[in-house]
Amino acid sequence: MTPQEEVENLIARVAMGDRAAFTRLYDRTSAKLFGVCLRVLDDRVEAEEVLQDVFVTVWNKADSYKVNGYSPMTWLITITRNRAIDRRRALKQPPVPIETADLLPDSKPGPEGAALAASEARQIQACLDELPRARGHLVRRVYLDGYSYADLSQATGVNLNTIRTWLRRSLMALRECLSR
Amino acid sequence: MSDQTKQAGDTGGDDGRELAAEYALGLLSDAEIAAFEARLEEDAELRADVLAWQEHFAAAIYQETEAVEPSPQLAKRLQTVLFKPEKRSLWQQIWPYGLGGVAAALVLWLSVTTGLVTLDDALRADLVAELAPTEDGEGLLIRAAVDTERGAVQVVRSAGAAPEGRVFELWLIAGDTAPVSLGLLSADESTLIDLPEDILADLPGALLAISDEPPGGSPTGAPTGLVRAAGPLTAS
Repeated sequence: MTPQEEVENLIARVAMGDRAAFTRLYDRTSAKLFGVCLRVLDDRVEAEEVLQDVFVTVWNKADSYKVNGYSPMTWLITITRNRAIDRRRALKQPPVPIETADLLPDSKPGPEGAALAASEARQIQACLDELPRARGHLVRRVYLDGYSYADLSQATGVNLNTIRTWLRRSLMALRECLSR
Repeated sequence: MSDQTKQAGDTGGDDGRELAAEYALGLLSDAEIAAFEARLEEDAELRADVLAWQEHFAAAIYQETEAVEPSPQLAKRLQTVLFKPEKRSLWQQIWPYGLGGVAAALVLWLSVTTGLVTLDDALRADLVAELAPTEDGEGLLIRAAVDTERGAVQVVRSAGAAPEGRVFELWLIAGDTAPVSLGLLSADESTLIDLPEDILADLPGALLAISDEPPGGSPTGAPTGLVRAAGPLTAS
């Protein structure tokens, strides 16, 4: 069984109310999901509360997992990220400033270049690394740290509409790269 | 880019690609989310787009996020939150009564001498138990008398009743073994239950307990409801 099949199998058993499977699913995935919470919230107590909430949802909603067509880790990560972002926004955590120097338009690929491009599993990273470094940084602040446009605007001092335009362009470039 | 040409004539789909990515990332305002979700309902391609973004970003998050162990208390908290505090075990519920043999005997003596309880004359009881109510069994007054020679127990319920839609089941707990069902109490005040021969030797000092169960008795062979009363069997 691949790790993916294992997690999928555990979710299916949790959907049937299997408590032992729930405990194994927790043991198997909680550290990674806690990492996701911590990255967004940067506060252990808040992150643990969110993680608890996530696993309560997993127990209650495991039967709906198959319906939405995600792969198992995507389902878990998406729930976790969304909950953590909700909490982050409710807490109004201030964004960490982004250096202006990091934002200077720069057409060169990031330092990692296309070194990872060969690995299909790392397709998204390879494509992110194809973005101008500063733009890649903004996109990462969004998906890893859960920043909103307002957060990005505050962190950079750049006007919100400009930020949105930059980010949308980056996302479309990313999309093009991913569909190659 | 072929997608863009495909979308060119579709005025409703002009910024769908961007919105799908922004939606997947949680970048839209509440109003934009509502509008976009209405479009998602209609547009399978857009739904596939959102799903693809979510898969890609989850993959990136998975790769770039360090695993950090949450505190061990979290696992325990979850067990409590989700699975409720495990019902106290039968032993935990009845242990005070196991220690209360002397008091129980006194109550029994009082009951009999005050005429509260009358025993079936046909039963020559050599073991008796006063089943004191647990905190879930307030108002119950139940006693049992065993005729070992005849292999029968008579249970007299002189006050209290099973909750609506439930029946009382009598259990024997001897030593450290799991509770053994002795049978259901009838709706009448008095129930006579024949005892299997192989348990007769275990009776002295063993505990009798009453739980409430669904009609027909425990479906599992072990008590599933609350323990309502319990007490030790002592020589009469």
